[in-house]
Amino acid sequence: MDFALSPSQQLLVATARDFLRKHCSPETAQRLALDERGFDDALWRRMAELGWPGLLVPGDLGGSDGSLLDVVLLVEEMGRAGLPGPFVTSAVVATALLLAAGGAEQQRRLLPALATGERIATLALVEAGGSFEPHAVTLGCEVPGRLTGTKLFVKDAHVATDLIVAVRDGDLLWLPVDRSGIVRLPLDTLSGEKLFEVTFDAVDVGAEDRLSRNEDALGAALAAGALARTAEMVGAAQRVLDLAVEHAKTRVQGGRPIGGYQAIQHACADLVRDVDTSRGLLYLAAWKVSEGQPAAGDVATAKAYAGEACLTVARRGHQIFGAIGYCEEHPLHLLHKRIQAASVDFGDAGQHLETVARSIGLR
Amino acid sequence: MEFGFTPEEQAFREEVRRFVAEHPPERYPLDGMDAGYGSGAHSRAFLAELGARGWIAMTWPHAFGGAERPMFFKLVLFEELAAAGAPFGPLAGSWQTADAIIEYGTERLRREVLPAVARGEATFWQGYSEPGAGSDLLSLTTEAKRDGDTWIIRGHKIWSSHAGIATHGLVFTRTSREARRSRGFSMLVVPNGTPGMQIRPIRSLTGEVYHYEVFLDDVRVPADTMLGPEGEGFQALLNGLDSDRFWGRYYKAPALERVLRQLVDHANTTIVNGAPLARDPVVRRRLAGMATEIAALRVLFHRAACLLRDGAPISYETAVAKVMADELGQKLGRLGMDLLGPWGPLREGSRGARLDGRISHDYLTSLGHTIAGGTAEVLRTTIAVRGLGLPADKRA
Repeated sequence: MDFALSPSQQLLVATARDFLRKHCSPETAQRLALDERGFDDALWRRMAELGWPGLLVPGDLGGSDGSLLDVVLLVEEMGRAGLPGPFVTSAVVATALLLAAGGAEQQRRLLPALATGERIATLALVEAGGSFEPHAVTLGCEVPGRLTGTKLFVKDAHVATDLIVAVRDGDLLWLPVDRSGIVRLPLDTLSGEKLFEVTFDAVDVGAEDRLSRNEDALGAALAAGALARTAEMVGAAQRVLDLAVEHAKTRVQGGRPIGGYQAIQHACADLVRDVDTSRGLLYLAAWKVSEGQPAAGDVATAKAYAGEACLTVARRGHQIFGAIGYCEEHPLHLLHKRIQAASVDFGDAGQHLETVARSIGLR
Repeated sequence: MEFGFTPEEQAFREEVRRFVAEHPPERYPLDGMDAGYGSGAHSRAFLAELGARGWIAMTWPHAFGGAERPMFFKLVLFEELAAAGAPFGPLAGSWQTADAIIEYGTERLRREVLPAVARGEATFWQGYSEPGAGSDLLSLTTEAKRDGDTWIIRGHKIWSSHAGIATHGLVFTRTSREARRSRGFSMLVVPNGTPGMQIRPIRSLTGEVYHYEVFLDDVRVPADTMLGPEGEGFQALLNGLDSDRFWGRYYKAPALERVLRQLVDHANTTIVNGAPLARDPVVRRRLAGMATEIAALRVLFHRAACLLRDGAPISYETAVAKVMADELGQKLGRLGMDLLGPWGPLREGSRGARLDGRISHDYLTSLGHTIAGGTAEVLRTTIAVRGLGLPADKRA
């Protein structure tokens, strides 16, 4: 057993932290959250130059053969910085789907462009029921045929070049966003994340638009998405903890730093527990996935636990910061909103706890 | 990163599992109460069985009769024994004392005490707390005075676990008055039965005896029963706290997992209003949520284990693990009582008791866990001050 990062993982984390400190300051994150488009093309290109979108892509298709554990370490840093954008949906979820369900020709055509960040793909899964479970999909489509219906909470559809649409019976359609009949309607979110309702009005779908039917592919991609979002929460919660401790050391009331009062000390001690345990479960689950071990219960455990624990960190963070944390110019609220958004993305606690319930043998 | 156990550790795990299967823990006579920490009751016979296999001394140096096995073998042994509900109550304390004796014990302690620990015969009570010295340990008043080659101890210790059935006391005592309040303390290893020592049981809220109070009325021990340097006992105590907290709670996660498994069985097989309790969405959620928290606890201890193994600096990691272990145990006790409903308060052995009445026992004993070995409040302050660097309260 060993919790240490490998030298290449240490390098990845150090590079990411340094890069994001320079190029995604709290002010930048806040500006992008308030901006209607909220996407910094130059920042995305720089990230692509570092090879990040190709982390999961095989070397012979322009990527760097990374593992899900590597991805999780990188996304943790993104969460710490409050970086917005389509990294998780495109470089993690869509890429994982294409790796698992794409035909050889589709992979050769699409993966290199995803790896360089030229293409951005996003998943259209959720429907009116609000569920992230594959079996909840009701939208149907004959292939070849026409697609008519609505998907909700589609991330960064405005900057995406492609949509992966989950339809009934386990089919996945890969459609360019500019195909006739596709309309993207923005939703206004607390966190500044760009989410869309996407409607399909008799959109032409051909056999070549379909990924190979692979029952496990969507499940694996959703697990990768759940862990990436967990990593985001862990990074953001760690940042809240760091900021709270710094504040407790420097904010003087009653003649001494508020961190000298037990009420604040004990709150901070609980934040340490919540962050450390969330991270431990995250790494354990990502390691198991990366090793090819059965990990459904571990992924669900990490997502459900961290969702609750990291949100608690954010909420107690507000109490430690007092009034200043209520201000838009302070970084706390954005971290909090991101954690909240991530906690319900790719399955909320209810969904994942049901997976855990089955994994511990509850009938 | 690597979260698995090595093939050697796995092979040892199988060996322990075979042992437990061939030696069902419930067959061993019990000498002292199970205080709910996860290490079960006190059973000399079971400890002797572990000793006979060489497992108690397995990580010690060859020179002291050990096999120099890696520390993680102890984790494996604890996990498997706790998962089986085995009665190895005092083992963690014996290991900690033996390690101290190996590291800085006198010839006498090494010669007289270590072989008895290895056989599972020697167990220890901690004489730390006093009626007027709980969280503020330094306010203790027990004193030892030097007389030639002996120390004469006078004082009153309390809340010493299993003192009446252990073989030696670790008596923390003032041996000199120094300008600094934390200097001048020493640890003496005092055999039970030494003249002048009087041990009285304290009946606990479960109706059983776990704690004792010990009166030391001019108890005379040889000078070379001192464990560690004279006058530096408090520093030695502090230095050992991080690993004490770890080893004293390591078996909690596997023990809680065992209880959770029992509650899952109970929920699956208990019909309420015509349907299994397991189908109640609230019950499902609470049990699943508990499973995630136990998994979190386990990973926290595994990380601390790696730090201890690697000799890495520890500032808060075992303190945070202990607090979580103790609070989670209380939460599970509460959940168990809720699920058992009117059967919850039935005692062990009562007619009609479900799950052997263990849940009500755990419910009660877990109340003491956030107090013993450092209260949750003291430890949270430690985490904040030592771990996060928040300013210490000058009055402390």
